[in-house]
Amino acid sequence: MKRRTFMMSAAGAAAGMAILPRMSFAAEGVIDWYTSSDSNILDFWTNIVKPAFEAAHPGVTINLVDAGDGAGIIAISERAMAAKQTNTDPQADFFESADPLLPAGAIEAGIFVNIKEAGLSNYSKLNPAGIQSDYSLPYRGSQVLLAYDTTKLDPADAPKSWDDLVTWIKANPGQFVYNRPDKGGSGGNFVRRAIHQANGLDPSMFTVDNYTQEFGDETLGKAWELLKDIAPSLYDNGAYSSGNTQSIQLLSQGVVTMVPVWSDQVLQAIDQGVLPDTTGLVQLQDLALVGGFTRSVVLETGTNRDAALQLADFMLSEEIQSAILTELGGFPGVSWDHIDPELRERFADIVPQSIPTFPGGAWEAAINDGWYRNVAPNVDRNS
Amino acid sequence: MTELAEGGARPLIEKTGSRRPTGLLLVAVPVLLMAWLIIWPIFNAFARTVWRPDADGDYGFNLSSYVFFFSDQYSINNLTITLWTTGMCALLLLVICLPIAIYLRFSHGRLPAYVQALAIFPMFVPSIILAYAFIRVLGPNGMVDILLNSVGLPKIRTPYLTPWGPVIGLVWDNIPLTVLILLAGLGSVSNQAIEAARDVGARRLQVFWYIILPRISNSVLVAISFAVLGIFSSFTLPYLLGPASPEMMGPFMNRTFREVNDPLNAITQAVITFCFCIAFGLFYVRSVARNQGK
Repeated sequence: MKRRTFMMSAAGAAAGMAILPRMSFAAEGVIDWYTSSDSNILDFWTNIVKPAFEAAHPGVTINLVDAGDGAGIIAISERAMAAKQTNTDPQADFFESADPLLPAGAIEAGIFVNIKEAGLSNYSKLNPAGIQSDYSLPYRGSQVLLAYDTTKLDPADAPKSWDDLVTWIKANPGQFVYNRPDKGGSGGNFVRRAIHQANGLDPSMFTVDNYTQEFGDETLGKAWELLKDIAPSLYDNGAYSSGNTQSIQLLSQGVVTMVPVWSDQVLQAIDQGVLPDTTGLVQLQDLALVGGFTRSVVLETGTNRDAALQLADFMLSEEIQSAILTELGGFPGVSWDHIDPELRERFADIVPQSIPTFPGGAWEAAINDGWYRNVAPNVDRNS
Repeated sequence: MTELAEGGARPLIEKTGSRRPTGLLLVAVPVLLMAWLIIWPIFNAFARTVWRPDADGDYGFNLSSYVFFFSDQYSINNLTITLWTTGMCALLLLVICLPIAIYLRFSHGRLPAYVQALAIFPMFVPSIILAYAFIRVLGPNGMVDILLNSVGLPKIRTPYLTPWGPVIGLVWDNIPLTVLILLAGLGSVSNQAIEAARDVGARRLQVFWYIILPRISNSVLVAISFAVLGIFSSFTLPYLLGPASPEMMGPFMNRTFREVNDPLNAITQAVITFCFCIAFGLFYVRSVARNQGK
């Protein structure tokens, strides 16, 4: 009995060891693709982009992988940097959404393709407003706006400026909620809009490399005061949902009347019946809520670098850019001149004239930490 | 391996004084794996927080990240809410699971089988599913509210996004393990002992207090330390159901590491969390050792 048990566990251990350190190599012709976006984007790639691209490029397939969040993509980039030092395969070719500035030194290490120089035939069509770096490709955009329940709030009375919004929130305590800024862009960009509000509605004040402790404390400090001011009038005396989806859930359950949402996510939610047809959308007119372009990055060291660049070029084609409008509810990364006039007409409403943006980098960490320390705890929830 | 060939003829229970290395070999793989994946990172993490470069890049002994943690009211609040949640869960688990386990031990038939299946059921539900189910049932305008509303009662004060959210979720999640351990412990309570106590006139509470509890105190300790270890560093349920602030150590560490890009403070938080867990772990080890000594 004992011997048999021993043999069995020894065999099991040996088998385990044989499986454990097995190396895997990226396959030629299979683009390893990662995203940090929400599942609606993954669905869009799975159902629209992947079949179209694979049909247009026989022999090349895309392996779609959800990296979870931005930090997940950064971890894969760090792995690619380490792999480059030993000339090994990073097992990654294409990041659907990434900031080439993170992790620090990635561009210098040479793991990302300089897309501007890569000779993409469609590169010149890009909307210049979206280009932030030569190493990333702003292929789609979306913006945060306010979604509300028209059965409780007449569209004629929907707030059109920040001050109106604050007045409305205070007049209707418990009817507004935004998510924690680090847990989803809808709440995150609502917080950034408050930062713009506190600092003279001038998005150009904040750039990716002008964060200093002093400047940050001063500018962000003013925004925390604004947010603390409305906190007691939020849902449940100052509760914050833990993500974009949870905010939409609270709106759909009729718990709150208004939430900030991503344009693409809310249009899809209405389309799928998650939110009723009576959902209204409104954008602030004094300065729109922050939005942004999603930028893709191609890995220089990936096995399928050239195929991944073909994919990048394909993303700017009219076929996909139109699908971003019609299927995703986002807005295109290319300039409007390169969009079918008919579509241009149809989506005139959700297309913003200007898209205020907010830089990432050090600002992001400062906002994430500052909000939790200053805004989140400062409410006596039991009062 | 020649020793092994002789092993087959050995009696089932070892009586000779000579110990063979077979046992040690069997545990070697898990022990090495634990040393590599758990113990080494712990020492590594601890060393990296106390022995690190200062502003000039010179390595030296530095406790400033710990000083920061314990002088920072925000971090202290997070630690406090974690201890409160853990304590509250342990208490509720005992209050809920002891009666279930005693019922299952002393009753027969089909109904207890169903009760047991129901008590074990949470083990098969992933916590993320549990969290969303919780929101739909106990959340604002959830199923409970709808039911209450249909009979004309006021809505409940929802525990969603309050400290009670994670408590309810974690208790539900930990019921199976606690019930199973307590049930195993109750196996050592003999029916004769209880019948004897009844014969001399002991009431139910006296039977529980003087006969059952002393027998299972060890199991209670084990069950609680198991639950506490898991709850203290839990992530998913506090993250999805709890308030933005104060947050439990699990989400706090994760956020500090990923969103604030501050590995040093995240590791410091992890070491502090580990120190609390090791204290609970020692309870467990001590009770097991005491049991073996008997």
